[in-house]
Amino acid sequence: MEAFDPKVVCFSCDFGWGYVSGHEALAPRMENWIPVTCSSKVDSVFILEAFEKGADGVLILGCPEGRCHFEDGNFRTEKKVYLLQEVLQAYGIEKERLRMVLSNDSGGERIPELVGEMKQALIKLGPIKKG
Amino acid sequence: MAEKPKIAICWLASCAGCDEAVVDLNEALLDVAAGVEIELWPVATDFKYEHLESMADEELALGVLHGAVRNSEQEEIAKLMRAKSKVILAFGSCACFGGTAGLANFRTRDDIMNWVYLDSPTVVNPEGNLPRTESLVDGKSLTLPEFYDHVYALDQIINIDYYLPGCPPPPDLILNGINAVISGDLPPRGSSLAPRTALCDTCTRNRTKPERLEIKAVKRIHEIEADPEVCFLAQGVICLGFATRTGCGETCIRVNTPCRGCFGPVPGVSDSGAKALSALSCLVKAGEYGDPRKLMESIDDPAGYVYRFSQPSSILGRKRRAENV
Repeated sequence: MEAFDPKVVCFSCDFGWGYVSGHEALAPRMENWIPVTCSSKVDSVFILEAFEKGADGVLILGCPEGRCHFEDGNFRTEKKVYLLQEVLQAYGIEKERLRMVLSNDSGGERIPELVGEMKQALIKLGPIKKG
Repeated sequence: MAEKPKIAICWLASCAGCDEAVVDLNEALLDVAAGVEIELWPVATDFKYEHLESMADEELALGVLHGAVRNSEQEEIAKLMRAKSKVILAFGSCACFGGTAGLANFRTRDDIMNWVYLDSPTVVNPEGNLPRTESLVDGKSLTLPEFYDHVYALDQIINIDYYLPGCPPPPDLILNGINAVISGDLPPRGSSLAPRTALCDTCTRNRTKPERLEIKAVKRIHEIEADPEVCFLAQGVICLGFATRTGCGETCIRVNTPCRGCFGPVPGVSDSGAKALSALSCLVKAGEYGDPRKLMESIDDPAGYVYRFSQPSSILGRKRRAENV
């Protein structure tokens, strides 16, 4: 049997993640990576559509507490993630498939690492159950 | 004299509130009835499906279908109506988006069957009988429609020409819609026969909304004595007017009840529930930091709240039956 290779869609805030290295340098190392101007730019629709289109997990990387360029975009997104986790569970999808990390890494080296960590967690969960 | 246009009104998984809404046209219904030939309307007239089956394809000028689709009989009727109608109008929230019946998709078919026929405390069913599509009684075969494992919105079963949302649709839009079909003065196919803006745009309470709107503590409508003049959101009550199409005549708002979203999304939005969640994550406890669970747990059952009328057409809930016609 072919090993399960989970698909992770990763959104990361440009203000906190990888801004020194730049998109061009980081992009070849990542699949399904979508840098955004603020994590709060990630609408609920984008997250749900990622799952609809076949993602096994969605990872959102925002800035640390008190460091949001727009004051509280990261906290708005955390609240959104909590509500969406509740919604995912109602649809029979494990809430662990939607994860948010508040931190920063100017070089962006940790972005592929965090995606890799999430993939390991998703391998334990297995493929997403289609309703 | 030219023949009157023929119309049919039929229910699927529906509470008949939509039929009631047609009756609520009052005297105007007499004018409609005088101008058309009603070929089928199970709630109001005697009928047989054979009559519909005997008609030529597209003989009906208008087929009005209300209700979602949950079983094989409803699918069969929907397809029959599609074949016999030039224009199909999806009437009411259940036909347009799946409606409240669609909330059942948050449970499996087995969960529902077990609770209704076995586990519910008021059920006495020592033999554990469950409905079957075919049973033999005294050598005779009795049949029931198949109960599907999913509730479908109507456009996931058949192609729809026009949508008229609402639970139920209001009399003015019904009359406009029926007259538009009869006169042929119709918008492009696939349109909703309702205004294009959000409910907040027409709500009389909009002017009471503060410049910076935020919800410090979420209240349910029965927990407060809501001021009948003031924006619900400003009072901490979640009203879905910002994510819902207008056209209802603010009937809920006028009886001091917040919008629950029965008119579905505004044009350009596929999933009004997801948009509502995005907005709530900004409105509730705006600017407050801390554990998101503590900040947001006062929103009880977010999935049920924002998808009250639209689970089957939501991004994660939408499905089409294979043999869509």
